[in-house]
Amino acid sequence: MRHDDFAATQYAAELCALLIEDQFGDLFARIFTTLQRYERLPLPRLKFYSRLTDRQLHHGLAAMIQHHLIYHFTSLEDGNTYYTANPQAAYYLVRSGKIIQLVESRLGEYAARVMEMILYLGHAPIKHLESLPELRQLKPAVPNGVHKDEEQELQETENDMELEDDTNGANGANGDHVEEEEQKPAPLNSTLKALASHGYILRVKDAHFQSPEDNYIEAHKAAANRSDIKMLKGKRQQEALLLKTEEILAQRTDGDLSEGLMVNGLPRGVKRKFVNGISDSASKRLQTGHNGVNGDHVDEDGEENDWSEDEDGFDNIPMESGLVVRVNYEKLDVALRNARFVEMAEQDAPPTTAKVYEGLLRRIEYITKRCRDTDEIPREGEEGEQFSVPIETYKIVDAVDSHLDLSSSIGPLNPATEALNRRGKRPLENGVNGDHHDEEEEEQEEAKGDDDDNGVSRAFEINQHLKLLEQAPHNLASHVNLSEGIKWRVGFRGLARKLRHLELERLVEMRYGDVALRVLRVLHAKGKLDEKRLQEISLLPFKDLRQTLASMQSGGFVDLQEVPKDAQRQPSKTIFLWYFDPDRVCSSVLEDTYKAMSRTLQRIKFERTLRRDFLDKTERSDVKGNEERWLSEGELEQLQRWRDMEAVLLGVVSRLDDMVAVLRDY
Amino acid sequence: MGSRVTEVASRLYDACLERFDTDHLFYQQDLLALDVIPQGEIDLLLKCAQALVDQKLFRLHQGANNRLAWKLISRDDAEKLQNLSPDESLVYNVIHSSGRSGVWVRSIQSRTNLHKSILDRCVKSLESKNYIKSVHNVKYPTRKMYMLAGLAPSEDITGGAWFTDGVLDANFINSVAGYIEYTVSRRSWYEVPAADRGRSKRIKTATGKAEVKSESEKTYLPYPANYPGYPTVDMITNAVNQSGITPVRLGEDSIIQLLQMLCFDKKLVSLNNGTSYKSVKNPEIVKASQSRKPAAEEEMASPLHGLGKNGMTESPCGSCPNIRLCSPGAAISPETCEYFDPWYEKVLGF
Repeated sequence: MRHDDFAATQYAAELCALLIEDQFGDLFARIFTTLQRYERLPLPRLKFYSRLTDRQLHHGLAAMIQHHLIYHFTSLEDGNTYYTANPQAAYYLVRSGKIIQLVESRLGEYAARVMEMILYLGHAPIKHLESLPELRQLKPAVPNGVHKDEEQELQETENDMELEDDTNGANGANGDHVEEEEQKPAPLNSTLKALASHGYILRVKDAHFQSPEDNYIEAHKAAANRSDIKMLKGKRQQEALLLKTEEILAQRTDGDLSEGLMVNGLPRGVKRKFVNGISDSASKRLQTGHNGVNGDHVDEDGEENDWSEDEDGFDNIPMESGLVVRVNYEKLDVALRNARFVEMAEQDAPPTTAKVYEGLLRRIEYITKRCRDTDEIPREGEEGEQFSVPIETYKIVDAVDSHLDLSSSIGPLNPATEALNRRGKRPLENGVNGDHHDEEEEEQEEAKGDDDDNGVSRAFEINQHLKLLEQAPHNLASHVNLSEGIKWRVGFRGLARKLRHLELERLVEMRYGDVALRVLRVLHAKGKLDEKRLQEISLLPFKDLRQTLASMQSGGFVDLQEVPKDAQRQPSKTIFLWYFDPDRVCSSVLEDTYKAMSRTLQRIKFERTLRRDFLDKTERSDVKGNEERWLSEGELEQLQRWRDMEAVLLGVVSRLDDMVAVLRDY
Repeated sequence: MGSRVTEVASRLYDACLERFDTDHLFYQQDLLALDVIPQGEIDLLLKCAQALVDQKLFRLHQGANNRLAWKLISRDDAEKLQNLSPDESLVYNVIHSSGRSGVWVRSIQSRTNLHKSILDRCVKSLESKNYIKSVHNVKYPTRKMYMLAGLAPSEDITGGAWFTDGVLDANFINSVAGYIEYTVSRRSWYEVPAADRGRSKRIKTATGKAEVKSESEKTYLPYPANYPGYPTVDMITNAVNQSGITPVRLGEDSIIQLLQMLCFDKKLVSLNNGTSYKSVKNPEIVKASQSRKPAAEEEMASPLHGLGKNGMTESPCGSCPNIRLCSPGAAISPETCEYFDPWYEKVLGF
């Protein structure tokens, strides 16, 4: 878990408070800001500073702990319980939409709903999820009803927190009455397993409720008390102590559920067409191939969640019902980061290549636990490259859609001879115009089964695509040649840096134009330069160059260093060097981004107060859901405009979050 | 005697003119080897040489090992020089010795030891006779430099091919850069032949990924990673020089300078340590973006343009000049912000 000085800055703190207020209301925001302002507080002090009643405070704290918005720690020395804000969790509220979308695209609509519920509850025991009526059916229930139920559930889970045992009865009663509308039992358990094996959810451990600092101190104490550590002396003891502390810490906080649930190194619930075997899905595709109606089986795929019809029965074994799960943001960041990398590939490489790359990244994602090992992004130049685990090509072959036409998106190595070849080959293939495609498909399927020539050539083509990405403008992957063949890996640190620079460059381009962009890149590549040298490299007229540099300096993107030649420091005898410090710029842009996010959220709040009366009307329980019936045409239009506006503002916040992710999390 | 010296001297000069070119440095032996001086009379040679130097037909030099050496001066130049006053010819010689790199007025002064007013007069008269010219040095724009009128300034002085009169010629650079980008682009993407295009299209529709393309649009594919045909610096230089867009022949160094600039623009990437180059965008896009340049930047939204957008470039706060001052309840605040309303209009269209 990361806990850097993220919340120490003014705008980040402001943003977290706004997010909490937006999501949970004033009470939570009040407690949270108090804790942010005064940092670590025991209950009486918290009560004093926040001016809340005991009842409010207890209620609020319990629920916030449920949502991991607050860490608490009971000291064994004085017996007090201290509360601390958890700004990371507060910040991640803004990313929940993206997370749900990601899960939906990977594991389908139902999994997204399960995820949404877990996000909504903060953390939840399996048995509680099982009892939720809205997770019983595959199809979502009427939104209005769900909403109410959820609120009810929230109350219950809050109780749950305080009185661990009581909930069972209540849930049981609640669960039963929905049973009759259930057409098809929802594959909750297998979905949870899929989520767990992807690493998107993790087991909640006691240590997750304590701040990382407390956990570290405790682990340190525990390590120091060990007899084998005590036996050592001096420097060796220090080293051993550090190692042991890390080990204990990892052991206490690691809630990974994926390991036991992987099948052949693949998470459960990966869409069938990606899976190794050629079992039923392949034959299914064969059939539809004959049908010639391509659309059919796609729909099928979409509807039935592929893992639900697992015949081995493994999935029917329910998950441990006492298990408490929460969302694993670290892992989801890895997945979201990979999506950005694919986006980068799509920019200049052909779409097919991007697809292949996606396949590679997907395989790497399964074994990557977090975006980086250090707490903070190291300074540029001090950061070593850190490669992912290399992946064999044949695994990527499996991860790529076998329908994907790999050959037609890369040019020939030797255009002159190739032109002849193609012309010679073409009539053969084209002979039977309509059918040949299906035949080819069949052949491919068979070939896959026998693992003969065709499979090999597919691997060759995959390698071709990845080699393209390894080349200059992309540099998105690199290969290692081993005796058993080529393996592919991704240098995440370098790419994360590339993403950061891309964000900065976009900003510079928008504010100062493409001339500035060139200057910035020159400065970044060459280090510190005086104006003359800068001009020679960037080939810009002095006037433009000076203007650009001056405006970028006032914007904080480049800096000027003075190197006096003598002690008098006369300007005429001073060398002036321009330079670009990406670390400094990144952190200031990050700050601005927080600020922009919180200003946008404040604007939403303001727009809402402008329309308070009108919005209150639309939110009345009889109007809500029946807007067409109760609102006039003008009002409907107004409502639509408000919704559009809110959507676009929230969209901006989410786009800004993309930047924060790049600048801070990746 | 005197007439004999003149006669031998003129024969010596003619012989030299025949044997040596003007830049050749020749020594005593060389002159003796010409067989013009009867019986190799050193005394006579000395007199002849002195006479020629006096007539400005020879220029005196100090060769290797401090030996005396001469260089030829053409008769035309000699005529010029003979008309100069002694001071002027002193100055002329200093300027002449600096060759193509020019010489600063102040260093002429220090080398000739002339008074400033005399020097100024000499320089002025030489300039008015069109013997010397003043040149502009990019490195020291404030220094007054002179060189012989007939010489072209060296690249150190002009700053290379990209400078005109000491100022960077932006238009010229842009036109050459645009040409290079397009040329390189044409060679770094495989253009699918028209016949094949039909085929690939059919396959695409068959797999359900219908991608309707107009006939005129060309399809470009990247070459595989080990493709050897990316243009080299050599090829690019030749292409530029043959294209007729440059009035002067551009050297490889200048082209490399430009290629590196294009790399910083992320238009090209260098391969194999800068020996060959590859373009990032295919010719179609390059052409489109180049032709669009003059037509202002209305279409910032199109994917062709620039690096794309992110949260900061889209949000009104990202481009707000006063974001540092903005805070709720202050003079500049999210409530009173005047950027949001026009922004809604732009984004939502109402």
